[in-house]
Amino acid sequence: MSRGFNRLLDAVVRIDVREVAFESGAQRYVSSIGSGVILSADGLVLTNAHVASPRAVELSITLSNLERVSAKLVGWDHWTDLALLRIDVADAQRRGLKFAIAEFGDSAKLFPGQTVFAVGTPHGLTRTVTRGIISNNNRYFEDTNGVNGYETGAFNTWLQTDAAINPGNSGGPLVTEDGRVVGISSRGYLGANNLGFAIPSSIARRIVDGLVAEGSITRSTIGLVPGALQDLENFYALALNTGVLINSVALGSPAARAGLRGGDILLAIDGVKVDGRFPEQLPPIQNLIANQPVGAKLRLTYKRGAQTAEVSVTTEKLESRVGEEWAFEKWGLSVRRVSRTFARENQLSSDNGVIVIGVQAGFPAEVAGLSRGDVITKINRQPVDALAVMQSAHAAFEAKPAPTLIEAQRDRRVSLYILKP
Amino acid sequence: MKCYRVFFAVWVVVASLSAADLPALWAERLKCVVAVEFFTETEVDRRPNVVFGVVVDTQGTIILPAAAIDSRVVPAQLKEFKVYRPSDPASAAGVYLGQDALTGWHFVRVEERLRPLLTPITQFVASGNAAEPSLAEEVWGIALRGKDEDFTPYFLQSRVALIQSLPQRTGIAQHEVAGPGLPVFNRDGSFVGLALSSFGQTFLQFSRADRGGSPTMLINVEESSVFHLTVEVLPYLSRVPQNEFGRPLAWLGAYGFEPMDREVATFLKLDAQSGAVVSEVLEGSPAEKAGMQARDIVLEINGRALPRFKPDRVVVSFVEREVERRVPGAPLSLTVLRGTERVDVKVTLGDEPKLMREAARRYFERLGFTAREFVYGDAISRRLKVADTAGIVAHFVKGNSPVSVAGLRMDDWIKEIDGVEPKSFAEAVEKLAAIQADAARTEFVLLVGRAGETAVLRVKLK
Repeated sequence: MSRGFNRLLDAVVRIDVREVAFESGAQRYVSSIGSGVILSADGLVLTNAHVASPRAVELSITLSNLERVSAKLVGWDHWTDLALLRIDVADAQRRGLKFAIAEFGDSAKLFPGQTVFAVGTPHGLTRTVTRGIISNNNRYFEDTNGVNGYETGAFNTWLQTDAAINPGNSGGPLVTEDGRVVGISSRGYLGANNLGFAIPSSIARRIVDGLVAEGSITRSTIGLVPGALQDLENFYALALNTGVLINSVALGSPAARAGLRGGDILLAIDGVKVDGRFPEQLPPIQNLIANQPVGAKLRLTYKRGAQTAEVSVTTEKLESRVGEEWAFEKWGLSVRRVSRTFARENQLSSDNGVIVIGVQAGFPAEVAGLSRGDVITKINRQPVDALAVMQSAHAAFEAKPAPTLIEAQRDRRVSLYILKP
Repeated sequence: MKCYRVFFAVWVVVASLSAADLPALWAERLKCVVAVEFFTETEVDRRPNVVFGVVVDTQGTIILPAAAIDSRVVPAQLKEFKVYRPSDPASAAGVYLGQDALTGWHFVRVEERLRPLLTPITQFVASGNAAEPSLAEEVWGIALRGKDEDFTPYFLQSRVALIQSLPQRTGIAQHEVAGPGLPVFNRDGSFVGLALSSFGQTFLQFSRADRGGSPTMLINVEESSVFHLTVEVLPYLSRVPQNEFGRPLAWLGAYGFEPMDREVATFLKLDAQSGAVVSEVLEGSPAEKAGMQARDIVLEINGRALPRFKPDRVVVSFVEREVERRVPGAPLSLTVLRGTERVDVKVTLGDEPKLMREAARRYFERLGFTAREFVYGDAISRRLKVADTAGIVAHFVKGNSPVSVAGLRMDDWIKEIDGVEPKSFAEAVEKLAAIQADAARTEFVLLVGRAGETAVLRVKLK
């Protein structure tokens, strides 16, 4: 192989992750393995968001020379399934550990049929190289809970490859013959043969820059759910390659408040024409909005029936539906904060409250009758407008156990429960 | 010595059911039970149903248990009622009169020809008998075989194992004691109760379920061991519905009562008080007009504290029945706990808004779905302001039909047809009928709402 390829092999690492999981009504620690690739001399390692997330409590990197060194999370972005770690370089230097640095290639230049290699740690088998071709260089798919329950795929397309990608390959690089990183292997179809997907380097480079600068990627949203027009142009009396179908508008979102509705056709954003004829064209349109600063005013041109109109919409910050999680061990109760997105999707009257994500059998929450999916709105008559409200009630319970009143909603039914010591 | 005791026990049983009187009682009481056959016609099929009923008067009125007819089925889909006497393959025509809101009973009236051969159950009520059977008392009843066996009657017998208020006074026998909907008697032949269907309400009431847990019970659908005592039957026999929908229907408009359990009551310093939490107060309802609020805890109705039931959740049915037993316009005074304060809410019950089963509907064969009028309950279930709603509901979607292939599902809200929001059901029907009649049409477009989201569906017509 090329020199570049050999150097790349020395830049691929195995990542052992220990992370906290809250689902069982208590804090539990689970371990997993993934792959990553070293990007810089100061120890930046790129991997998948589903490998290393803010839930990680211990990240251990195995270099190509089999030496281990610890790392910390710089930031993650579940929308593109990318996370950035930084190796404890001081420690590595002290121990005289050396590592190579990979270089990005240009994913935009890839063509279907081009040979690529996936490098990683499938099923814990360190430094495994598999070979395949680019099967498709612009694959669209969105998944509402693809990254450990978090949304993914709305803002990027994927490289599809038939290079074998197995669990553990996640976060490893997809490279060309010269060893340049053109993608980050992310997922494969279960039950299918050789249908693997990687995040293109063009996206990854931007995300890396953003994570280094701010630790997270801030995106704007107005609450539009776009759909591909496909062959609907006739029905909407549109010229081909014009406009994007608004399939749905999130309840309570800026677009909904501005009066946009499902079935409208978005023609232009700030005068820039949009073309959403095919699903692959949707992520760039989403990015057009996402890349605006939060609070920016956008001028949308849209068509409803025969009328074309303009409306001004102010963007808001894009949030995941998955809120912060916590476990109250004395109660055997795990919760997740109700996010704005979750509240809107479930038509809750406010985004106060926490969702029960787990109860432990025999503990007060389970005994009282709380179960997964209940939304706790009040505790001891106090609205749960922050996780801290629950945390202080739990602290009081820990210090001096006393019956605690919980008001919770299941579907639309409100019930009262007592957590008994 | 042991031998003697066994012998003695057998002797007692035989003596109590003396061979002479029970067959005579049996033969007499057979005349108050019937089998009722009817067809349920849906868009795509026609299914026969057989249920059992009891004759309640000399006018040929028959009551069927609540679960005899699926609650999703509307009266217009019920066809060809036929009434059979046990062991008699000949049938007589019946007419469906409707469902009573309080008891849930369906009323059927049989043609005159058969009436002289029937005996009302009221004939077998012991004089001055309001007494309940006692625990361990022997009870027996009638069950009927299927149509292929000419509804041959057979004998069932058991003992009362438990009597509970659920909230109706309900006897639970050790094992099956009668066919669902058929009467239960004591040893003297006096009517002591009406066996419930094993489905529906009873399915939930008698199954062991934690709040929200799934009920677990094996059900014998042909026989029942559970019966409402006569005190829950006799006073209501005259509630013959005035129309198929059982109107007038009283309406409170407080949704989702949830029981307050004993521990919550203690915490709220209500001691052993029973209560029901109001989950939502519906838009424009009598409850809203009276100032009722979500999360109020109902403690008293018309000055009387809610009784405590076992299990706690029965209180929900109790409150609902207090509304159902009244008529629109009747006053209802509720004492509720709001926060820490007791508040009196004086409601004047209203008239229930048009129900889904009363909504107009129309099946479009070529398109493959049934359009249903959008009613109050549709707005409520979708959390919409009633005034803001238009459109129709997909009541039924035929598999592999054009709309089904396009992704339309049952209960979807159709907001627009070909880009136009229909202002009324009639307008929607007209539009769909035109699309259906136009043989040259190759496609049309629906804007559909589902769980707060919308989608544009493109329906291809061949």
